[in-house]
Amino acid sequence: MKTLIRQSIRTGITYGIVQIFFILIAFNTMVGIMLAKISGIKNPGEIPAAKFLIAYTILMGLWVGISALSKKKFLPAGHKLLAGFTAGLVSAILVGLLELAMTGILVNKIFIRDFLTVLSFDFIKATLFGLTPVLGIVVTMGAIVLGSLLAVGLNIVTNLNAVQEHWKKDLSFLKNLNDKFQRMIRGKYHLIWQIVGISILAVAVIFIPMKWGSYWNYVFGTVGLYVILGLGLNIIVGLSGQLVLGYIAFFAIGAYTMALLNAPEPHNLMWGFWPALLLGVLLAALSGILLGLPIMRLRGDYLAIVTLGFGEIIRILLKSDVLTDFTGGPRGIQNIQGPMLFGKPFNSEVDFVYLIIAGVLLASFVYNRLQQSRTGRAWLAIREDETVARASGVDTIKYKLLALAIGAAFAGLAGGIYASRNQFTGPDEHALMASINVLSLIIVGGMGNIPGTILGAFTLKGLPEILREFANFRLLAFGALLVFMMLSRPEGLIPSHRPKYDEPNEVSGEMKKKEVPHDQ
Amino acid sequence: MNDPSSLPLTPKGNNNLQTNTNTAAKKLQAFQNSKFMKLLRPILGVVVSLYIVFRLYQVLVVHQEYGADTWTRLLISGLIIGGVYSLIAIGYTLVYGILFMINFAHGEVMMFGAYAGLYSFWAFKIIPIAGDPPTNFLNAYPILAIILAFLIGMTVSATMGFFLEKIAYRPLRKAPRLVPLISAIGASIFLQNAAMLLFSPQLRDVTNPDILRRGAGWTIVINGSNVILPYTGVFTFILSILLLVGLYILVRKSKLGRAMRATALDKKTAALMGVDVDSTISRTFIISGALAGAAGVMWGIHNGLVYYFVGFIPGIKAFTAAVLGGIGNLPGAMVGGLLLGIVESMGPAALGIDFQLKDVLSFLILIFVLTFRPSGLLGEVLSEEKV
Repeated sequence: MKTLIRQSIRTGITYGIVQIFFILIAFNTMVGIMLAKISGIKNPGEIPAAKFLIAYTILMGLWVGISALSKKKFLPAGHKLLAGFTAGLVSAILVGLLELAMTGILVNKIFIRDFLTVLSFDFIKATLFGLTPVLGIVVTMGAIVLGSLLAVGLNIVTNLNAVQEHWKKDLSFLKNLNDKFQRMIRGKYHLIWQIVGISILAVAVIFIPMKWGSYWNYVFGTVGLYVILGLGLNIIVGLSGQLVLGYIAFFAIGAYTMALLNAPEPHNLMWGFWPALLLGVLLAALSGILLGLPIMRLRGDYLAIVTLGFGEIIRILLKSDVLTDFTGGPRGIQNIQGPMLFGKPFNSEVDFVYLIIAGVLLASFVYNRLQQSRTGRAWLAIREDETVARASGVDTIKYKLLALAIGAAFAGLAGGIYASRNQFTGPDEHALMASINVLSLIIVGGMGNIPGTILGAFTLKGLPEILREFANFRLLAFGALLVFMMLSRPEGLIPSHRPKYDEPNEVSGEMKKKEVPHDQ
Repeated sequence: MNDPSSLPLTPKGNNNLQTNTNTAAKKLQAFQNSKFMKLLRPILGVVVSLYIVFRLYQVLVVHQEYGADTWTRLLISGLIIGGVYSLIAIGYTLVYGILFMINFAHGEVMMFGAYAGLYSFWAFKIIPIAGDPPTNFLNAYPILAIILAFLIGMTVSATMGFFLEKIAYRPLRKAPRLVPLISAIGASIFLQNAAMLLFSPQLRDVTNPDILRRGAGWTIVINGSNVILPYTGVFTFILSILLLVGLYILVRKSKLGRAMRATALDKKTAALMGVDVDSTISRTFIISGALAGAAGVMWGIHNGLVYYFVGFIPGIKAFTAAVLGGIGNLPGAMVGGLLLGIVESMGPAALGIDFQLKDVLSFLILIFVLTFRPSGLLGEVLSEEKV
C-alpha cells in the first residue's frame, strides 16, 4: 500500500515536470490547434479556443493515469483508483504551482519573455483558459485529475494494460510479416511470388507518381534518396560493423561533383548528368578508401569520432572562403542541370521520382547480392568478432575498406541525384545533423535489412513532412524518439534475421536453439 | 544465410583443396597488403611533418608576417579557450574512463550551464540596490554575483548530468556499445531543441559585471604595440586551472575518487570490494556536469554570446582534446585541452592558412593523433576488458 502510494507520487512528479515542460515550450497551444483543426475549424489562429486547451489538459491527465497504472494489472479496483488519483493529484498540484507563478507574472506585468520565450501575457491568459486566475488553476487541476480518473475507469473496464503491454508483440508482428515475406520469395513457389510481387510493385511504382502532386513526389523522392543513403550506411555499420558518423561527407562529394561538372556558375563544364553521376560515385568510393586507409586499426568509438571530424572538415572546407573560386563558397552552387535521357530532359518531380526509384532498386539489388555473397558473410564475421574473423582467414582490412568504398559509392549516387533534383547544393546541406539522420533511420528501422531501412526512411523523413504543423517540435520529438527507441527496442522496428547455430545437445540429443550474441 | 555451414567460419572437410589454393593467393595478398600498410604510415608521417616544417619556415623565417605582439595575442586567446576545453574534456574523459561511451550530450550540458549563467546575470541586474547613485545587485556586489552565477550554472548542469545518466544511459549499461551512443545522440538533439523552444533561437548577450567588462584588460607593450590581457580571460584561465587542480586532488585523494578509479578499472571487482557502482557513476556524471556548467558560465563571460547551439562545437573539440591527451587520463585531458586551444589559435597563423580553417586544423590533429599514436600523447588509462 505504502509502496503503491510512493510509486504513484513519483509518477505524478515525473509527469508533472513533463507537463510543466510542455507548457513552457507552448506544446499545449500546439495540440489545441491540432485538435481544433481535427474538429473542422479552418483557421484556429495562434491561440486556440479554451475548450480545446481543456481537452488537452484532460488528455494529459489521461496520460498520467495510464502511466501510473502500467504494470499494475492485478491490483483490485480500489487500489487502482487510489494510484491513479494520487498520481493525477500530484501532477495537478505541480502544474497548478506553475500556473500560480504564471499568474504572478500576469498580475504584476513582469516581462519575462527574455528568459522564457513563450510566456507572453496572451499565452498565460490562454493557459488559464481565459478565466480568472483562481478559477483557471482550479479548472486545470480538475481537468488533470478528471483525466487520470478517466484512465482508471478505462483501465478497470477495458483492461487497458493488456493493450499497453502488448505493443512489443504488435511490433514483432512486423518482423513476422517480414520473415513470412522472405520465406515466400525464397520458398517453393518463389518464382511465382517474385513475378507477382515485382509486377504489383512495378504497376504501383509507374502509376502512383503520376497521380500525386509535385509536393508528394518531392517528399517521396526525399524518402527514396534517404533509402539509398540508409542502404549504403547499412553496409558500413549494419553489415561490417564500423560506426561511421561523417557519412554525409560522401554524399557531399557526390553532390558537389555533380554540381561542379554540371552548373554554369563556377566552371561551366557541362559534362552532362550521367558522366558526372558516374564520376561522383567513383570519387566518393575513392574517398572512402582514402579515409579508410589510415584509420582501419581504430576501435569503434574512435572510428566514429574520426569520421565525424572528416565530415566536419569537408563541410568547413566547402563553407570557407578558401575554396570560393572553386566550389562557390558558402553560397553554394545554383542552376545545376538535370539529366537527359534519350533526348528528353528531366524537368518535373515525377521524372526524378522515377530516377530515384531506379536508384533505390539498383541499391537494393546490389545490397541484397552483396549480403548473400561471400563478401557479405565476411562482413558479418568481422562485425561479430574481428579477431576471430582474422584468425579464420578473412582479410579484415580488405573487407572493411571494401565496405567503406561501397557504402560511400551509394552516398555518392544519392548525392548526385539530390544535387541535380534540387538544382542547388550548398555546404549547409551536408552538416553533421544529416549524417545523424541517416544513422538514426537505419537504427530506428532495424539495422542490416532492406525493409527496415525503407520503414526507417519513411518514419524519419516521410512522417515529419506529413506532420508539418509540428515543425518546431519535430527535432525535439526526434531526439526523444531516439532515446526511447534505444531504451525499449534497440534492435529497431524490424529486427534483422540473424543466422542461428543449432547445437546438438549432448545429453538428450535434441537440437538446441542458441542465440548468436549481439555485440558490436 | 539460414544454413550455418555456408558461413566461412565453419570448416568443412571437402572444402580443403579449395581453401589451400585460396590461402596461398591470400597469403601473397596479405603480405603485399601488410607491407603496403606498414610503409604507408611512416611515409604519410614524414610527408606531413616535412610540409609542416616547410610552412613554418615560410611563415616564420621567409615572410615574417607576424611580430611578437601578434604571437602573444594568439597565445593568450589560445590559453583561455584551452582552459575551457580542458574543463569540458575532463567530463568526457571521466565518463569514457568508466562507461566506455562518448557522452555525446555533454556539450548540451555545458550549454545549459551557459544559459544558467546568462540568466543569473540578467536577474542580478534587475534586482535594484538603493544607494547613490542607485545601482543593481550585479554591480554592487560583483564578486558575490559571480560566485552565485557559477554556483547556479554548476548546479543546473550537474542536475542535468545526473538525470541524463539516470534516464538515458543507466538502463543501457549492458547493451552493445552502439546503443548508448545513439541514445546519447538522441539526448543531445532533444536538449538542443528543448533549449531552442524554451529560450528562443536568438543569440543572447551576456551582461558581465562592470569589473569584468569584456574587452577591458591590462595592457602590455610588446614590440611597440599594445597587447591587451583581458580581465575575463585571466579570470577564466585561473578559475579553470583551479577547478582542474581541485578535481585532480578529488580523484587522487578522496574516497569518492578512489571509488571512481576502482569502478573505472573493473566494475565487478569494485562492487565486490564494497563500492556502490551505481552511485559512483551517478556522482561521476554530477562532477563532470558541474565542470561543464562552470565551463559554460565561463564561455558566457568571456565570449559573451549564448545560444542553443553553443555547446556543440566546443563539445566535439573537447572530445578531440580528451583523445589528444589520451582518453581516461585526467592530466592528459588538461594538457590536451590547453594544447588544442593553443594549436587552434596559433596554428592557422603559423602554417599560413586561413583563420576560418581553425576547426579543420583541430580535426586534422585528431585524425593524425589517432593514426600515429592512438593512445594519445600521455597514454590512455582504460581497463583491460574493452581495450
